[in-house]
Amino acid sequence: MTNVRDSGAPSASGSAEGPPAEGTVFDIGYQKYEGPREGRNRARMSIYKDGIKNSLGIGRSPKAKILPWLFIGILVMVAGIMALIAGAADRFVGAGTAEAAGLPSHSDYYGIASIILFIFAAISAPELLCPDRRDGVINLYLVRPLTGSDYIIARWASFVSVILVVAWLPQFILLTGLAMGAAEPAEYFKDNWADIPKFVGAGAAVAVYTSILALVVAGFTTRRSYASAFLVGLFVITTPFTVWTAEAIGGTSGQWLSMFNLSNIPVHVNDLLFKEVSGVTSNAPAGEFDAWILISWFAVWTIVPAGILWARYRRLTP
Amino acid sequence: MEALLSAENLTKHYKDVVALNDVSFEISDGITGILGENGAGKSTAIKIFLGLLKPSSGRATILGEDASGNIIVRSRLGYMPEHDCLPTNVTAAEFLTHMAEMSGLPPSHARSRAADTLRHAGLFEERYRSMGGYSTGMKQRVKLAQALVHDPAVVLLDEPTAGLDPAGREEMLDLVRKTHRDFGISILFSSHLMADVERTCDRIIVLQGGRLVQSGEVKSFTEETETVFIEIDTNREEFIAALEKRNVDVTQDGGGIFVEGSDETVYDHVRDALVESKAPLRRMGPRRRALTELFERDGDDFSAGAGS
Repeated sequence: MTNVRDSGAPSASGSAEGPPAEGTVFDIGYQKYEGPREGRNRARMSIYKDGIKNSLGIGRSPKAKILPWLFIGILVMVAGIMALIAGAADRFVGAGTAEAAGLPSHSDYYGIASIILFIFAAISAPELLCPDRRDGVINLYLVRPLTGSDYIIARWASFVSVILVVAWLPQFILLTGLAMGAAEPAEYFKDNWADIPKFVGAGAAVAVYTSILALVVAGFTTRRSYASAFLVGLFVITTPFTVWTAEAIGGTSGQWLSMFNLSNIPVHVNDLLFKEVSGVTSNAPAGEFDAWILISWFAVWTIVPAGILWARYRRLTP
Repeated sequence: MEALLSAENLTKHYKDVVALNDVSFEISDGITGILGENGAGKSTAIKIFLGLLKPSSGRATILGEDASGNIIVRSRLGYMPEHDCLPTNVTAAEFLTHMAEMSGLPPSHARSRAADTLRHAGLFEERYRSMGGYSTGMKQRVKLAQALVHDPAVVLLDEPTAGLDPAGREEMLDLVRKTHRDFGISILFSSHLMADVERTCDRIIVLQGGRLVQSGEVKSFTEETETVFIEIDTNREEFIAALEKRNVDVTQDGGGIFVEGSDETVYDHVRDALVESKAPLRRMGPRRRALTELFERDGDDFSAGAGS
């Protein structure tokens, strides 16, 4: 039987009477809630907040933190190493050496990092959608002032926020590193400030593309491991396959095959913004297409999966 | 009093299957039980009230609003599903805070409501433990707590005692009663167990095969579910004839004779019939009608004294 005890204050948890018996209910009297009810916007906000926590493992077990932070560490490290090499070249060989030697810089970062960023997304995205459906928590969400569309849009917003930070942070570290490496940091900023809007734009393109593609796959399974494995497999297989076949076939068909190199799709946008080809796309036949084709292709690969994802979750509530 | 929930000619088809067939009822303040076997349409009715399903025809209103129209009305609604619905990797305190915010409470209020509600549900000590390690009974309590955390006007509980042992069931039913008595929250509670409904609810709605079989005060059902069971050794025909002469409603199966009667006079008639027919009595006693029998009864039999 449940034991009901009456005590005067909320803090009086019965410690004076020793440890309470199993199943003891401390009845301090029920308080009706008279405070504000903020409805749908608060519900959306809560899904957003919870999504950020889930994708980074905040407030979760230490095990849930390992992988996301490992990949964030790698991404930052890549930028750090790039800054160190460029800085060392300028310091020890002479100013301007890094640029003259074509050492990787802002325009090359996403070419190198997009696949690492994608693996990060492949690990985090399923955390946002799969457990809600497998554990049935979504059934509790959808009976609150929230629709299926609200849910998926808030989840996507939280994920793209995380990816944006993860995509931009190393670029800012790289910028700081390059400036520190230069003889006159202030001069460096004055000469290179135009890189900032370029990498902000390129980072946004990478983040939007990566977040949507990863979430749409996660939206079709309740098993996190299946979603992650499928996403990693998709990139690990398509990248070498398209590079090899595009080269073997050549011509316009080769160019189009090269367009299916999924990790390069946002990098082409990056190249257009910086008006220079980065390391990974320099050999890609797709890079020879007109800008409007490359941008439209990027749009197709973001809008279509976003539509599929939205349609799938919208139907959950009538 | 205005109805908290009302169903007007509610019908729901799933392709060829009719899950609910022209069901109408109203639920006002108190604890109302929806009783029915699996597939009777209980969960479908609850899902329509929650706005998760649209009725094929008819109308469901909740707190005066159309159930599938206005989603803001769900800020004042709580729901405890039958199946698992808890994340395994977060603590009960964090989960309840999140669920309070999901119902529209600002974060600071959500945190204090979460702690209070867990205390009322008897989980205060375990609130910072990850829910993956909770027992079935503790999980059921968290499920109930998340339905109450935002202080709803009405909660819908789908089979809250499913999977619990007798002690756990007792505690859950106590919590349900307390939710209404002390918290002033009205409850709609579905079950396939007559005993749960009988001991907890004020009113009852009986569904069978998607149809409303019966609705009314629980008292009227429990009176009528008392049948006197009689077993005699010989003179069976004479005894039954003697009972029928006294206008007693008699039914029989292979072994026993069942006598219907809600008042004490039936015992006098049985005594007189036994004397008259010289039938040797072996056993006699009240027998509670099984749930399945309640469903077999035609609705008209109950109409006296069972009006909603």
